[in-house]
Amino acid sequence: MPAFDVQQFRQQFAFFQQQPDWVYLDNAATMHKPQVVIDAVTQFYQQYNSNVHRGAHQLSQQATALFEQARNTVASYINAPHLHEVIFCSGATAALNQIAFGLMHTVLQPGDRILLTQLEHHANIVPWQLHCQRFGVIIDVVPLTPDHQLDMLAYQQLLQLKPKVVSFSHISNVLGHIQQVAEMVALAKAADAITVVDGAQGIVYQQPDMQQLDCDFYVFSGHKLYGPTGIGVLYGKTAQLARLTPIFAGGEMIDTVSFVNTTFNKLPFRLEAGTPNIAGAIGLSAAIDWLQKSNNQQIIQHKSLLLKEFYNGLTAIKGIDILSSSVHNAGIVALNVDSEHPADVAELLNQQKIAVRSGQHCAMPLFSYLARPGAIRCSFAAYNTLDDVNRCLLALEQAVEILTA
Amino acid sequence: MTLEQLLADTKPALLDIQQRDLTEIAQAKDWQAKYRVLMQLGKKLPAIPEKMKQPELLVKGCESRAWLLHYHDKATDKHYFVLDSEARIVKGLMAIMLCLVNGMTTAELCKFDLWHKFDQLALKPYLSQSRGNGLLAMAERIKACCPAK
Repeated sequence: MPAFDVQQFRQQFAFFQQQPDWVYLDNAATMHKPQVVIDAVTQFYQQYNSNVHRGAHQLSQQATALFEQARNTVASYINAPHLHEVIFCSGATAALNQIAFGLMHTVLQPGDRILLTQLEHHANIVPWQLHCQRFGVIIDVVPLTPDHQLDMLAYQQLLQLKPKVVSFSHISNVLGHIQQVAEMVALAKAADAITVVDGAQGIVYQQPDMQQLDCDFYVFSGHKLYGPTGIGVLYGKTAQLARLTPIFAGGEMIDTVSFVNTTFNKLPFRLEAGTPNIAGAIGLSAAIDWLQKSNNQQIIQHKSLLLKEFYNGLTAIKGIDILSSSVHNAGIVALNVDSEHPADVAELLNQQKIAVRSGQHCAMPLFSYLARPGAIRCSFAAYNTLDDVNRCLLALEQAVEILTA
Repeated sequence: MTLEQLLADTKPALLDIQQRDLTEIAQAKDWQAKYRVLMQLGKKLPAIPEKMKQPELLVKGCESRAWLLHYHDKATDKHYFVLDSEARIVKGLMAIMLCLVNGMTTAELCKFDLWHKFDQLALKPYLSQSRGNGLLAMAERIKACCPAK
C-alpha cells in the first residue's frame, strides 16, 4: 500500500496556512475543515439559499434537492438501508437526547433497566439519567479492567439483567480506545436490548456500516468528520425511529393540526422539527464526498505511525503517566505529568502553541474511576505530521522541566 | 490551622509578591522565566487545610478547583483574603490578583479596576479565557465581596 501523502492532504486546510505556528492536537474536540467544505457552505448561501420542503418556487426546490442529496450521501456513507433512516439534527448530543427522551415512558417503563459504560461522555449519561429519575428506570454501568478497557465479562453478566437499552461509545473520547462494537451489539441484541452506539469519535476513525453492525441507533456530529458545527446525524432503524416520541415539535414534522389532535409527518421529517441546518447538511455531505477520495486504510496507517512515535517519545520523558493504551487506540492519548495538575501542563503547552484539551473531557465518572483530577488529551488527525508529534514531545519536555525545576 | 492563622500567614506573603515578584514577572526575559516565577508564587501562600475547603468557598468556573476565603475587618473596614488552588500556575495568577486587593477598604475594592491593572502587568490574556483557568470567575468572586449599596 502506498504511503499517505500528508502534505498534500494538509494543504487542503486553509487553517494551517493561517496559523502556521500552531500544533493542533485537539481533534477529538473538533476538526478543521477542508476548503471544499467551506466552499460548499458559502456557495449554498450565495447561490441557493432558500428554505427546504415548502417553497412554491424553484429556488426552494433546488435547496431541497441539495439537502436531500446530503441525506443520500450520509445514508450511503454509513450504508443505511433507507434514506428516511438518516435524521439530521444538531449533533451527537441532540441525537442522544432525542433517543433518551423518545423512548421514555413509551418503551421504557418504571423498573426497566438501561446499560451504559464507565467511560461514556456526559451526553450518553445525563440524558438517560434525567429521564430515568422521572420514570423510575434503573441505570447499570459496565466497569473497566485494570488496563482501562471495557470489562467484557462484566458486560455479559449485566446483560443478564435484561436491560431494555444498551448504549455505549464506539471510541472513548478520553482514552481513544476502540470498543468491540460489533461483538457488543450482537451480545446486546441476543439479550433483546435496543442498541445505541455513540459514534462521535468513531465516525472519523472508520466508515461504519449500519447493515453489518446491525445496531438500532448510531449517532455522530458533523464537525468531528471535517464538517461544519451544528449538524449531526441520528441514524435509526425504521421500526425503532417510529417508536421515538419527538423531542421537538413544529414545522415540517407535522401532518395535520387542530386544537383537538395533531398528526405527525412521516420519517425522516417527523423527527426534524423546524428549519433544519441546511447549509450544515450540505457542508457535511461535501466533507464526506471529499473524504472518500482518500484511502482510509492509508489514513489509519498514518495515524498509527504518529501514535507510535508519540508513545516512543513519551516513554523517554520522565514522570509521564499515560492513561490510554497504545493498542486498539484510534489516535487519542490521555496523559498527566506525575503529581501535576493537568491545567498547569496544558497552560505550559499553550505557551508553546500546542493545542490540547485538559480537564475531565465531559467524562467525570471515568475520572473518578481512574482517581485522577483530569488529564491532558492529545488527539491526532490525518492532517497531523511527525513534526507535530515531535514539537508536542519537545513542548512536553519543556513543561516537565519547568514544573519540576 | 485557624482562619486567623491563615490570614496572618497570607498577608505578608501577598505583600512580598506585590513588592518583589511583580517586578520580576514584568522583567522576565522569556515566558519560561515568567512561568518559573509564577509557579513559585503559589508556594509562598499557606495551603487551606482540606477540612476548611467547604463547598461554599469553591470558586465555580475553574477547570482546576480553587477556593477563596474572605474576611472583612469591620473595625477598620478592610478586606482580607486567603486562597488555594489545585493548579500551580492558576494559584500564582490568582495570588497576583489577591495581592492587588488585599487590605483594601470597601470603597477601594468597589472602585478597583482589575482589568486595567492586569493589562498593565501584561496579564490580561489570562482574564479573558473565561472558562479555562477560572481567573475571571475568581475576579468576579472578589468583586462580589463588595457589599451591595
